[in-house]
Amino acid sequence: MLFTTDKQTLDDLNIFGKHGGDSIYNIFNRCATRGGAGILEEMFRYPLADSEAINKRSGIIQSFAALDTSFPFKTAAFDAATPYLANTDERSKLTVQENSVARKLTNMMAMDADTQLIYKGVESLTDLLKQAKEFIKELDGNGFYREEKEEMSVILNDPAFAAILQSREKLSHAQIAEFDVILRFRQRNLVEKLLGLIFYLDVYLSVAKVAAERKFVFPKALPANQQGNGHDLLKLEGVYHPLVKNAVPNSIHVTTDSNVIFLTGANMAGKSTFMKSLSIAMFLAHAGFPVAAKKMEFAVLDGVYTTINLPDNLGMGASHFYAEVLRVKKMAQELSLKKDLFIVFDELFRGTNVKDAYEATIAITSAFAKKRESIFVISTHIIEAGDVLKEKCGNISFVYLPTRMKGHQPEYTYTLEQGITSDRHGMVIVNNEGILEILRNGKKKPQKTTAT
Amino acid sequence: MSFITDKQTLDDLNITGRFSPQSLFSLFNATRTRGGEKLLDRMFHEPLSDPAAINSRSGVLKYFHERELSFPVSAQVFEDAEAYLGGSTGSSFLAVAGDLLRKKALETAVKDEQYGHLQNGLLATIGMLNALQGFLQKVSDLSTGQFEAVQAALNTHRAKWLQDAPEGQPLSLFQLARYDHLIRHVLREETENILDFMYHLDVYIAVSNVARARGFSYAQALPKEQNIFRTTAVSHPALEKAVANPLTLQEDRNVLFLTGANMAGKSTFMKSLGIAVYLAHMGFPVAAKDMQFSVRDGLYTSINVPDNLNLGYSHFYAEVLRVKKVAEEVAKGHDLLVIFDELFKGTNVKDAYDATLAVTKEFSTYRNSFFVISTHIIEVGDRLKEDCDNLQFSYLPTIMEGTVPRYPYTLTAGITSDRHGMVIIENEKILEMIE
Repeated sequence: MLFTTDKQTLDDLNIFGKHGGDSIYNIFNRCATRGGAGILEEMFRYPLADSEAINKRSGIIQSFAALDTSFPFKTAAFDAATPYLANTDERSKLTVQENSVARKLTNMMAMDADTQLIYKGVESLTDLLKQAKEFIKELDGNGFYREEKEEMSVILNDPAFAAILQSREKLSHAQIAEFDVILRFRQRNLVEKLLGLIFYLDVYLSVAKVAAERKFVFPKALPANQQGNGHDLLKLEGVYHPLVKNAVPNSIHVTTDSNVIFLTGANMAGKSTFMKSLSIAMFLAHAGFPVAAKKMEFAVLDGVYTTINLPDNLGMGASHFYAEVLRVKKMAQELSLKKDLFIVFDELFRGTNVKDAYEATIAITSAFAKKRESIFVISTHIIEAGDVLKEKCGNISFVYLPTRMKGHQPEYTYTLEQGITSDRHGMVIVNNEGILEILRNGKKKPQKTTAT
Repeated sequence: MSFITDKQTLDDLNITGRFSPQSLFSLFNATRTRGGEKLLDRMFHEPLSDPAAINSRSGVLKYFHERELSFPVSAQVFEDAEAYLGGSTGSSFLAVAGDLLRKKALETAVKDEQYGHLQNGLLATIGMLNALQGFLQKVSDLSTGQFEAVQAALNTHRAKWLQDAPEGQPLSLFQLARYDHLIRHVLREETENILDFMYHLDVYIAVSNVARARGFSYAQALPKEQNIFRTTAVSHPALEKAVANPLTLQEDRNVLFLTGANMAGKSTFMKSLGIAVYLAHMGFPVAAKDMQFSVRDGLYTSINVPDNLNLGYSHFYAEVLRVKKVAEEVAKGHDLLVIFDELFKGTNVKDAYDATLAVTKEFSTYRNSFFVISTHIIEVGDRLKEDCDNLQFSYLPTIMEGTVPRYPYTLTAGITSDRHGMVIIENEKILEMIE
């Protein structure tokens, strides 16, 4: 089964971000090649839902990170090779017969663009093949990256490429014409496959470099077939938001007996940030990527869905509350397909009045709580709902983010604590910003006695 | 002073945005020329703040609205003329003729295309000017400065030569040189004004066509001091079958306190009002009948306030900062229209109650501005009723038909405690699905 997520989640977590802005993708994208950047994006678009595949990918990246390998190819070589391979016109083949003195002279003065493209393409692909051979030799004796390495050496050991690999530094016109036929036509599939493998390598090395630089850890995927009550779903130590400066780390342990996390806390205490950090870690873990944490073990799930910044959509005729209801309904539909999901709701039902929100929060949360293999994180301002839920369900874990008042200034520790909090200081913030004073001291116009 | 507003407001009301298919700009953008589109965009970015200017523009639009005119030249001819007028020519008749002779020679010798292009462009321009002449006769009873200036430019004795030009047939080299020198050098300024006028014409025709098709009306701008907003039926211009509501805001009733269940249409009503006021300040047609309004200094709305984690804001703090920004503008003594949807929804109930009450009370002392505030916390309304005398209370009702809520979307006086959130959840059968 595929790992599922949606646009709302990708936007909430800022996975791809808006053009130019900071995003999770930009953190990891140090790819040297455009092909590598494309594959990285694909990995983010389609995370994995299979613990073996996850552990394999994260193993490869981890080992490269430990070796501190750098990308052995030149970026410019790919820029020349891509347009060259894109030209599949048989008529553009170079011919040896034409290699007359006249042709040599013209080429010496000004080579036409097509010939130039072929010359450059053949030369850079020849270099790439040779470098790939070198690189594999260096990696020999390492246990990881075995399958891909095997595939690469099968391609490189193909007799068709022998002449190319043994060629000298400077290629003659006859050699280029010969290699052109091999690379661009006869063995095209193999060449493209090799380039694909190199692009993957580029991604691995780029991610490995980022992991080493930022001290990210590699999460371990637990096998999916654990049985019995109370088994682990998620063990996360020191998780933080990779895009927030000086982020405060938090730890959380989720089992099937505590799979609903009920989060409270005042405004600005960091509820949304904590939920985003947690969700980003889950998302990256399912892509086989390193995460911003100290240690992470997780049961592989079928999808991640977050609802943090939900816009209303007047064009489609939905109010904010209805948008939330539809979102909850979507989650319910996914759950009813027997999927195990990671679901996050920030400020569930904030778009409605208090009484409705209270009833709805209780009803939905206790319904979710029956799904023991999924993980739910729900934050709310309606602390009264927490008290009722405590009575009703046994598998809810109550945590909060505290506020300490220092005179009139609230201070936030951003560190999770057990329980429910009734902290509030909204009016303190309003007063600190001096809004009421601004209005009291503003320029008021004298009122007219006769309004028309 | 120009009309003040900000990005949040423009986003809330979905006003600008050339590439957003549902924006108001797209709604009105039926222009045929690129210059017209650019001009329309500029009008959208620069609403007017002088009642006379507003009424003058809306008068012209209304005139076109009533007459159903079409743009006098075809897109192809206009494009040719535009390209031709964009180029320049020699400063004396002799230089022009010499240059033309060279081009003519090149054409005969190596099939150069410059001469042909020039000929084409000039013919298109003459055609356009003649068509414009004919068009202006149709609208001769429209007497604004802009139209009269163009009319005068076309009637100068030199421009009159053009009318004698043979239409549709090639010009001789001598004629070409004479006209080219005339149009692109002697009458340079006039032709530029005419081109600009064509863009205006394009916008007027496009906007009035949209208004006619959608049944929009024109608002009357009043001087600031009267301090009044009045309409008998305002609705959302982009929605099909939108329900219209009457509304009057004036100095002794300058705050509208709006309640209603979810989906009853609070946000839509607020957006409709904001849009009507914005469009009216552009002199554009509005989806509101019999609208009269005192010109405002600006418009601020707060309907979808996003949090901004990158700047380190929570949702609540984003709202507080938004209120603060508006408070600063109000305190400067500007006459504004301020719209707050669900003030302080990002916090707990007690804080939201205290904050909404305190802020609304302070805002309401500024009688020169208008405020529309919606909330779910109906208790605030009861308190405000006792404490202030310049509030009007309205709600959008919900009628329950069995378990299905129905929304009439008509504004009713009073405060409502309607709620049916759980009914919606039950109707969607969410709980059953999870079981």
